[in-house]
Amino acid sequence: MAARRDSDVAMDDAPTSHQPEVKDDTMVDDEGDDFDENEGEEEEEEVEIQRVKLLPGSTETAASFEFANEGHTLGNALRYVIMRNPDVEFCAYAIPHPSEAKMNVRIQTFEGTTAIEALEKGLRDIQELCDVVTEKFVKAAADFAEKKAATG
Amino acid sequence: MDYDPMAMDDAESLGPVVKISQADSVRVKFELQNADISFANSLRRVMLGEIPTIAIDLVEIENNSSVLADEFIAHRLGLIPLNAEGVEHLLYSRDCDCEEYCEHCSVRLTLHARCTGYDNMSVSARDLVPVGERINQTLGTPIITDKDGTGSLILKLRPDQEIKLECIAKKGIAKEHAKWAPSAAIGFEYDPHNKLRHLDLWYESDPKAEWPPSEYAKWEEPPVEGEPFDFDAVPNHFYFNVETAGNLPPDGIVAEGIKVIQQKLAGLIHELTEGEGDGGYDGPRSPEYNSGPDTNYGYSTSYGGNGGNQSAWGGGGGTTPFGGQTSYGGGGWS
Repeated sequence: MAARRDSDVAMDDAPTSHQPEVKDDTMVDDEGDDFDENEGEEEEEEVEIQRVKLLPGSTETAASFEFANEGHTLGNALRYVIMRNPDVEFCAYAIPHPSEAKMNVRIQTFEGTTAIEALEKGLRDIQELCDVVTEKFVKAAADFAEKKAATG
Repeated sequence: MDYDPMAMDDAESLGPVVKISQADSVRVKFELQNADISFANSLRRVMLGEIPTIAIDLVEIENNSSVLADEFIAHRLGLIPLNAEGVEHLLYSRDCDCEEYCEHCSVRLTLHARCTGYDNMSVSARDLVPVGERINQTLGTPIITDKDGTGSLILKLRPDQEIKLECIAKKGIAKEHAKWAPSAAIGFEYDPHNKLRHLDLWYESDPKAEWPPSEYAKWEEPPVEGEPFDFDAVPNHFYFNVETAGNLPPDGIVAEGIKVIQQKLAGLIHELTEGEGDGGYDGPRSPEYNSGPDTNYGYSTSYGGNGGNQSAWGGGGGTTPFGGQTSYGGGGWS
């Protein structure tokens, strides 16, 4: 840590965020309107926010993903379900800063599968779980209504 | 990858179980079993904040001689629950092709009241009249559940005062503004006997005497006196109490909540699978395609990162914690 202290930077020089800034025009509507109106509008049509990014430094079996506009709602459920996959060595999620709508997921797998496959499988597993819960809920609701009608 | 993601560690694992203990037009109380707390919490969060409904978003005031300020009335109007049946067929205003708003992305309501009598007059949600084209005849109608059938009170007028305005109701979610929340409240509870010690109950002399038992306490085995703490125990029974604000039926909120999660996942899966085999796509794909430091993962780092720049954080070699070759190790961290 001593070495780092030497290379510490003044607060003004440090970037405001650890995360890369999104340069999309979609994010800066209110500011962008005042100037270069024509350019901004043209680009706005095309730019679609990419929802998952693979963070640099990732390898086949050990990767970090950045999800835009996701939070604990997806993060925790995804972390849990990916961790249940026996081919996965490690999975964790973090929201690096509360005022940035970004969620990071780290996945490390054993040989034989890739982190991306594990992520996709995780997403599909939650989908399946949702299907089952919907089915059970609808059935429970129907049963309840039936019972209520029977007893008056 | 051969395993059952639904299977829990306990022997009685038959997948999730849902039991409903109460259901009427206002609330549904149900128990979710054999699911993880992370999923139960996802469902709770989604039902609170991400189910699309419709609420008044724009108000054009033509005449307001009441004692209340225009913006004050506009705020009150926004909070009036409107029927959200069929809102899935309504577009978000931002996704619509129209200039500002149209019948595909909004519902227009008008309010015109003048106190002509000698007594003060109440203007309530009932007096809001949907006008113009609508997707169906219920979408955007103010919710009226009280006995008198007047709905929420908006304002009162003294004799000769008048209010005339037009409202534009738009689709939205509660994450943006609470007026779009479908639920008045969502009860979420587990482990009524606090066996897992997730709670540290404050007490004066005896927590057992001072904290009334939860209504779900009798649904679960009470702890045995002198029982050792089970370190492997995880919450497995979740008690939800979903109360609607009137815009969606309570069981509809649960169904919609799950649907929102599904859509979220489907969108992500679509993005993940779409990227495969598409050369120009810069989404996540196998890192084997990574041709070197030039590979741009669809964004540029805000600092340093682009070969050789002295980064503010990284120290030697311009290796930034995220912008360089490795996300950990590397030169930046020690």
